[in-house]
Amino acid sequence: MKIFYCDDRFEDMMTCIYDAWCYALKEGHDNVRLTRQRDSQENMFDEYVYVTADKDKVVKVTRSIERDISRYAFMQVFYATLSNEEDALDAIYRYLIIGFKVGERVSQMLNDAAVMRMMEIKRKVGNEAHFFREFVRFSSIKLNSKNASNSYEEYYIAHIEPKCNIVNLLGNHFADRMPSENWCIVDDNRKYAVIHPKDEEYYFQYLTDREYDILHQSEEYEDEYTSLWKTFFNAIGIKERANYRCQRNMIPIWMRKHAVEFME
Amino acid sequence: MNEIIIDKEINSKLQILADAAKYDVACTSSGSDRRGKKGYLGNSVSCGICHTFASDGRCVSLLKILMTNCCVYDCKYCINRVSNDVPRATFTPDEICKVTTEFYKRNYIEGLFLSSGVLKNPTYTMEKMYETLFLLRNKYKFNGYIHVKVIPGVSEDILSAIGFLADRISVNLELPTAESLKKLAPNKNFQTIMKPMEQITGTIASNRLAIGKDARMERSGINRYLTNNIFNDSKRIETSSKLPSVVTKEKVNRKFAPAGQSTQMIIGATDETDFNLIKTTQYLYQTYDLKRVFYSAYIPLNEDSELPALGTAPPLLREHRLYQADWLLRYYGFQYNELLSEEKPFFNERIDPKCDWALRHLGDFPVEVQTASFDLLLRVPGVGPKSAMRIVNSRRYGRLDFSHLKKMGVVLKRAHYFITCNGKMMYNTPIEEQYITRQLIADSGKENWQVKHQNEDNRQMSLFEDFGVVG
Repeated sequence: MKIFYCDDRFEDMMTCIYDAWCYALKEGHDNVRLTRQRDSQENMFDEYVYVTADKDKVVKVTRSIERDISRYAFMQVFYATLSNEEDALDAIYRYLIIGFKVGERVSQMLNDAAVMRMMEIKRKVGNEAHFFREFVRFSSIKLNSKNASNSYEEYYIAHIEPKCNIVNLLGNHFADRMPSENWCIVDDNRKYAVIHPKDEEYYFQYLTDREYDILHQSEEYEDEYTSLWKTFFNAIGIKERANYRCQRNMIPIWMRKHAVEFME
Repeated sequence: MNEIIIDKEINSKLQILADAAKYDVACTSSGSDRRGKKGYLGNSVSCGICHTFASDGRCVSLLKILMTNCCVYDCKYCINRVSNDVPRATFTPDEICKVTTEFYKRNYIEGLFLSSGVLKNPTYTMEKMYETLFLLRNKYKFNGYIHVKVIPGVSEDILSAIGFLADRISVNLELPTAESLKKLAPNKNFQTIMKPMEQITGTIASNRLAIGKDARMERSGINRYLTNNIFNDSKRIETSSKLPSVVTKEKVNRKFAPAGQSTQMIIGATDETDFNLIKTTQYLYQTYDLKRVFYSAYIPLNEDSELPALGTAPPLLREHRLYQADWLLRYYGFQYNELLSEEKPFFNERIDPKCDWALRHLGDFPVEVQTASFDLLLRVPGVGPKSAMRIVNSRRYGRLDFSHLKKMGVVLKRAHYFITCNGKMMYNTPIEEQYITRQLIADSGKENWQVKHQNEDNRQMSLFEDFGVVG
């Protein structure tokens, strides 16, 4: 068996699918496997191939998915590339095998194991993205303005530690919501951020260590509205109905890490 | 403009006014889809967004506050009634606007929920609320969600103007019959509650017609596939009773309450039956086209001979059953008279309303997932709108088995008594009322206990703390 592996980026994964597919046309789909990390314990009978991004191949793969399967399928594939599940890349590959065979209706064929797996992976990423739309907390920092030295501008900075790489899915939502504010959401684990300057388009960026350290200061600084929010949060719960189990179901503890109302 | 300073005073006001508002149930931010605009703050998402969950497990999506908790009314069930000695506070419009926009920018909230005690009279109070919303929309350029509570007895002009600033309006029904209302809320009467409700319905409908939409509010898409749903046989909405149009200097470029109207009823303070409540609910959905009806389990706050004694546990499980039934009306194509009847006016405490219905109609079961109609599939306990949709979409392409169903989200624990896959049931279980009831009760026992006793502290007894033994 030949094992194709690549880094955890969209372009690399698409290229990986292309290369694996080319090989499988000769040897059969059962003789390839795709993964994002090289296995820690290698099998002596397998051959490992490392793939890096190739722009043309990325275009070919994405174009074919949209054209020959459907837009929705492409969306599913994109979501799956953000997943932290180990088998996500291989699951995309298995899904595409059926997809290119039957076309658009693939996304409804849940009685096929590969399609079902895809639905599960996509659902998990989508749910997590929705959770962080809810639980992202910005805190404001005042920094000197670029234009005039004696005035300052407000920046809203949020830190999150999601399991899946869902920063990609947050940009649109907050850009629509706060078009005229400077804001930025930082994924602390991946050091990856979405940055939105006031009245401009947002963009994604991998952060250098220095940038990351500067952005991290927003967590140490006490925002004047934080304590007001805590007051509200504590006042709004009804004592007679206290239900911490339900609260834990709705907002699991690992998601509370950066939610200020749960901090001491 | 005087700068708003965030100081101790605002903090203590927020403490008092959020505390006073917490008994209001509705905190949803759904039903309104509005894109953001450059230069403005905020948008609105139709699915609604919860921003956190309070210690009671309820979602917090709006900044839920009273403008003031001073009140000239003396409703017996209310903590803010005039005869109670509680700390009072009043927010100025600018303070509310500032806190709302700053919270919003930090993604703490989805918008504002503004209610109020009655200052002087309803019209004066709502004028103040109007002023707040006007500032929020125009000076603070806030484009997010606003839910405003109507105080019965307000003048029509103010109501009409405020509807164009808010996303959702609600008039609290409080109690489902005129008699109980008279008993517990002497300053309110049924007429002053129903009239604004009717006028808001008419105004929303005519406003919707004017912009080329259907007179009735949008409902969950699932209802298109359900032949028996309550919205199908609803009467035409009367657009004749509507609020007078108000001419303002500013051009109003907004819809009238795009997220519709809602209401809430108190459960357990008077002796209404579940049948009454659920019948009223369906009536409100059909006749007044309400978007939601909320229930609030009564928590005794005041000592009164007309009310349950202080310390009576709030009827949480009963409230839970009513919400379950409410969902059955709106998403599952049930009618109120299928769930309860005059002879059986209360929900079964031990079993949810859907299981209860299925047990009374065992003749229709088991159904074959491969061929059953969508209506019937959705009536199987453990199958919801999403999983039913997945089943009908995928069964065209091949056979389904129980492991597929499980992954699709069907709760087999309840469903397996009522379905067959390719002609076979999951286990060898008899279709027998007594047997299935016993099984279902055993399964849901823990869940019910948790709802009922959610607020009890289940810690282990400590010799040192509880019995004063000094270690």
